[in-house]
Amino acid sequence: MFAKIEKNQALTLGLIAALFLVYAYTTSLPRITDFIIFCIFVMGFDLLYGHMGQLSFGHMLYLGAGAYGCGMFAYHVSPNPFVCILMGILTAAGLAALLGQVVVKTGGAAFALLNLALNEVGAYLVLSPMHRITGGEDGLSLFFQSYGFINFGDSVFRFYFCLAVLLLVAFLLLRLVRSPFGNLLKAIKEDEVRARFLGYNTYLYKYVTFIISGAVCGLAGALTSVNLAYCNTSLIAPTRNVEVIFSALIGGAGSVMGAVVGGTAYMTISNYLAAYIVRWEMFLGIALLFFAFYFRKGIWGYARRA
Amino acid sequence: MLLSVDNLDIHYGHAQVLHQASMSLTEGELVCVVGRNGAGKTTLLRAIGGFMKPSAGDIVFKGEPMSGLSLEQVAQKGIKYVYQDKRVFGDLTVRENLELAAYPTGESMDSAIEKLVAIHPKMKKLLDAKAKGLSGGERQILLIGRALVGDPQLLLIDEPTEGLAAIIIGEIVDILLKMKSKITMVVVEQNLATVARLADRIYVMKEGVMAREITQREIIENPSNYEEEL
Repeated sequence: MFAKIEKNQALTLGLIAALFLVYAYTTSLPRITDFIIFCIFVMGFDLLYGHMGQLSFGHMLYLGAGAYGCGMFAYHVSPNPFVCILMGILTAAGLAALLGQVVVKTGGAAFALLNLALNEVGAYLVLSPMHRITGGEDGLSLFFQSYGFINFGDSVFRFYFCLAVLLLVAFLLLRLVRSPFGNLLKAIKEDEVRARFLGYNTYLYKYVTFIISGAVCGLAGALTSVNLAYCNTSLIAPTRNVEVIFSALIGGAGSVMGAVVGGTAYMTISNYLAAYIVRWEMFLGIALLFFAFYFRKGIWGYARRA
Repeated sequence: MLLSVDNLDIHYGHAQVLHQASMSLTEGELVCVVGRNGAGKTTLLRAIGGFMKPSAGDIVFKGEPMSGLSLEQVAQKGIKYVYQDKRVFGDLTVRENLELAAYPTGESMDSAIEKLVAIHPKMKKLLDAKAKGLSGGERQILLIGRALVGDPQLLLIDEPTEGLAAIIIGEIVDILLKMKSKITMVVVEQNLATVARLADRIYVMKEGVMAREITQREIIENPSNYEEEL
């Protein structure tokens, strides 16, 4: 059944919308808005990891770039929320375009660690040398302009706006990964040398994918700033990279739906388990071991085969 | 002259695996390279395909030197490679494998599918099957069909019958015979009965050296004439 749903784009988007609507109205709208934004982040990360086979340990850098691009624009230039979100996306995409020129030339462990190193540098720059414009450790408290019913101070509006953005991103990513471009990414993941021998300049395709991935993560960062009306260094912290990697793994890497399931599962565990168990991270570790040994295709991967 | 390889030296680290290997190819020929395991056959093929950089010597294709070209540039020049291990892009369907090959060459999908079906009509039923589910023989046919997309001028085929059942070997040889004279091919092969059926000329390799070139039809057709040299 799930395999059939995944093949049909409208059904996939409908399922995602239904999942979040039911979850939001049975729990808490603001909390599920956080979940939705995190899922966008996982989808951006998984484009690189699940679809192209490049594991990054430093994608918090692009979430942070989006968050600060949006936040700094709102704080220093204009509180127009749409322009701020656009600035967040452009900041992250621009940074990915700059760093990707070097990063994409590497692969495997070097790719993962180089991204982590750049994330560390980015977090340091935000915290210290750039503290006058980033707010340093204190971060930035933000205000966004309202235009009639477009009011980002309203949690209901924020929920529906973020859900609409998630559906749009999912739609675009589904189109992308099912196009010849997406097939080439799968080929690069399986065997890059052979993809090159079909006549493709794989560096170019990897570079473009890196920028798209950075831009989607930046969008998630910008939405986080708008949602919290705040941005601080936790949004660029390298130690938080494990969250997105974990989510992609438990959801099922290489699938847009898997990213949504993984992101939601991770946020559910980290939000609700923490209320009952002090050291909840230990259970997260045990869950990860369980998935690594018995459910390597992730929740969605197995649901799809059932 | 379509291809000429002159005095090619190849090293793996400090170990030299090809010693001044030379060969040439005219348009429409099917040349087989034979030799024992480790003789340097695949290394020679990989060097022509641009996978390995020679430490000395020249590879000239259609009058242009190939040294310094990237893999994609070699492919764009019209050289295609069919790998020994029969690995296709398993997560893609047969159709998507062809599409991937067709896209950079500008060839239409209909024409790409037609080429595959022309060499093996049964593949028509498998177009929407995942390539990882194909048998070894079907994978080999897909690899050959995929290599034909874009009308390459030179096909490099590494051990096309290795690991296949006898009946499938017959089918692969028939396919290569069908393609013969329409496209220039270099085939690395250890099965001498296959070589005898396919080859216009044979290069015998021994310990990284091009030991002998066989051009006479009567010698090619009787493998006992050269199997002792392997």
